[in-house]
Amino acid sequence: MENSKPNYRPVVGLAVLSLVICGLLFPLAITGIAQVILPFQANGEIVQLNGHSVGSSLIAQGFNSPKLFHARASNQSASGVDPDIPLSDALLQVPRISSATNIPSTTITSIVNGNVEGTIWIFGSPYVNVLKLNLILIEANPTVYQNLTF
Amino acid sequence: MIDAPQTLSLILILGSALGLAWLISPYLARVYRRTPSRFDRVLIPIEHGIYRLLGVDSGHVMGWKEYFLAGVLVNVVQMALAFLILTSQGFLPLNPQGFPGLSWDLSFNTVVSFATNTNLQHYAGESSLSYLSQMTAIQFLQFTSAATGMCMGIAMVRGFVVGSKDMGNFYVDFVRTLTRILLPFCFIAALLLVALGVPQTLGGYTSVTTVEGATQSILVGPVASLVAIMQLGTNGGGYFGANSAYPFMNPSQITDILEIGLMLLLPTALLFVFGELLGKKREVRPFLIGAYGLFIIDLAIAFIPTTPLGLGIETRIGGFMSAFWTVVTTAVTTGSVNTTLVAMHPLVILSAFMGMLIQATPGGKGVGLMYMMMYIIITVFVVGLMSGRTPEYLGIKITSRDVKLVMLAFLVHPIIILIPTVVAYASGAVAAIGLGGGAVGFTQVFYEFTTSAANNGSDFLGTLANTPFFNVSTAMVILVGRYAPIGILMALGGSMIGRKRSVVSGLKTESFTFSIVLIGTILVLVVLTFFPFLALGPILSYFQGNVNGFG
Repeated sequence: MENSKPNYRPVVGLAVLSLVICGLLFPLAITGIAQVILPFQANGEIVQLNGHSVGSSLIAQGFNSPKLFHARASNQSASGVDPDIPLSDALLQVPRISSATNIPSTTITSIVNGNVEGTIWIFGSPYVNVLKLNLILIEANPTVYQNLTF
Repeated sequence: MIDAPQTLSLILILGSALGLAWLISPYLARVYRRTPSRFDRVLIPIEHGIYRLLGVDSGHVMGWKEYFLAGVLVNVVQMALAFLILTSQGFLPLNPQGFPGLSWDLSFNTVVSFATNTNLQHYAGESSLSYLSQMTAIQFLQFTSAATGMCMGIAMVRGFVVGSKDMGNFYVDFVRTLTRILLPFCFIAALLLVALGVPQTLGGYTSVTTVEGATQSILVGPVASLVAIMQLGTNGGGYFGANSAYPFMNPSQITDILEIGLMLLLPTALLFVFGELLGKKREVRPFLIGAYGLFIIDLAIAFIPTTPLGLGIETRIGGFMSAFWTVVTTAVTTGSVNTTLVAMHPLVILSAFMGMLIQATPGGKGVGLMYMMMYIIITVFVVGLMSGRTPEYLGIKITSRDVKLVMLAFLVHPIIILIPTVVAYASGAVAAIGLGGGAVGFTQVFYEFTTSAANNGSDFLGTLANTPFFNVSTAMVILVGRYAPIGILMALGGSMIGRKRSVVSGLKTESFTFSIVLIGTILVLVVLTFFPFLALGPILSYFQGNVNGFG
């Protein structure tokens, strides 16, 4: 207790050192490891169609075509980029897509039901990812959607 | 009301968080006791290298004044460094989007907010901060503010330990908190988050062409490393303006539950650490029953209404988990949000206010422990008055100076919340940002100062409050709200050293009855102090029929 005044060296040193360790070394280490072992997730889950990057499975897109599933309007969610819609909303869109594409509504319904996410045991309620559904539809029916794609 | 599966999921999430906190608490206690551990072979050389570099004598011990002052000074230099980075980010590297430096008042507000574990954000990160700023200003301060809070809480506890002679050494505690707790825990959490879909890259924003031919910019960055410490350190400031509602910060139900767990982990574990350090595990009971008893009352208020999926709520998260998160994040004063607060029912907001005004349910890590100690001393004093006996806690006679200190610590918050709220209206600052005087506007302004004082950080206003008045006034409230109560409670802890202890304790603070009295005392104190403002805000809003949140 003889020296009760903190001197400047540990104060400034600790501030600078903590910046280097917590602000640089830590995020850089995580970035390096993540880029090597989990590159898909680390770069934002960019999904591809015919070799082209067409979006992120986690970020909504404003689909307009009647042949595709539509996301929630951007001001309806908290993030503005909610990539999912409730299962019931997806099923409501099936007749519109079916009449625009002539794909049987039973086929579309089974695609929707086969791609339900969001429930783990007792947690959550069912929803579907809009971009994922659209890409499945496009890949399964290239001629119907050829005007849309590259 | 909530249904059976929801109730079960609540019990499972809270039960797992409590269990995990209990499991790690002996390890945390060993870190602060400097007990030899199997990690020493790697960490001791690193830590000793750091002490040598800094000129720290690890054997030097501090009294409360030196300990507290060291912490404050280190925080001030950290704020200055982050301030320089934020204001000059336009000239610094790792800025692929070319964002210019922030204004002085916004930078001041931001560094004060992050260095104090508040994380009130008057900016949207994705459209104003470079990667370097996100890492070396935001994430850096999230680590250090968490470490500072934990050190202060632990140091105060040391004062209460039988036979203690000092508060420890701030520099040593700070370094060990980082090397042995925050960095390794965040390392695991960050990689887990990446695996679950949170990005971690320094490449610029990715541009894609959608199947309809539109161009879309995917806003990525070093997000996972930030989310790990923002939740684990009960910081709450997000990489993106939409915080944990943004899919890249919280991609799924699983990450939502994981992040709730991360928030609860350290504040809860530190309650057990108190018992470990004290050597009397039964004394944890009033802390634990008090904190979680009040937390369950908060949950009961929040779940009177049902929160359906609707405007301002993310599909993957849903209404129930959004309301639950809102209660948790204010109960541990994290302040992250996975929804828009305007989407929340007034009763959920009332519950959020309770968390922020009590600050000990279980509160921020380290600091929540300090506040609960404050309430316990007040309760011991009140019970002493009622029974006509000398108030004693842990066998220590509670003197009038102790009671004055805890009352002073308690009174800081009413003063720095209620007065600025009134000033904001009287000065025209509220009208200047277009908020009305009704229950909705009042709630938002009252929330702004409450969240600042409680070092919580969630808010209704966001970038709307990026005005010199709100930037400076909230920064002042944040500074006083952080350092005044911590300093006072450090003084209380420091004054316990060397006090005489009676062997037979009159009041059994470990009894269930005491915990119930404690909960009652806290409710009476907090509700009586803030009732008029709560009545004009969320309660009035509820009776005006704003059942679908604050429109």
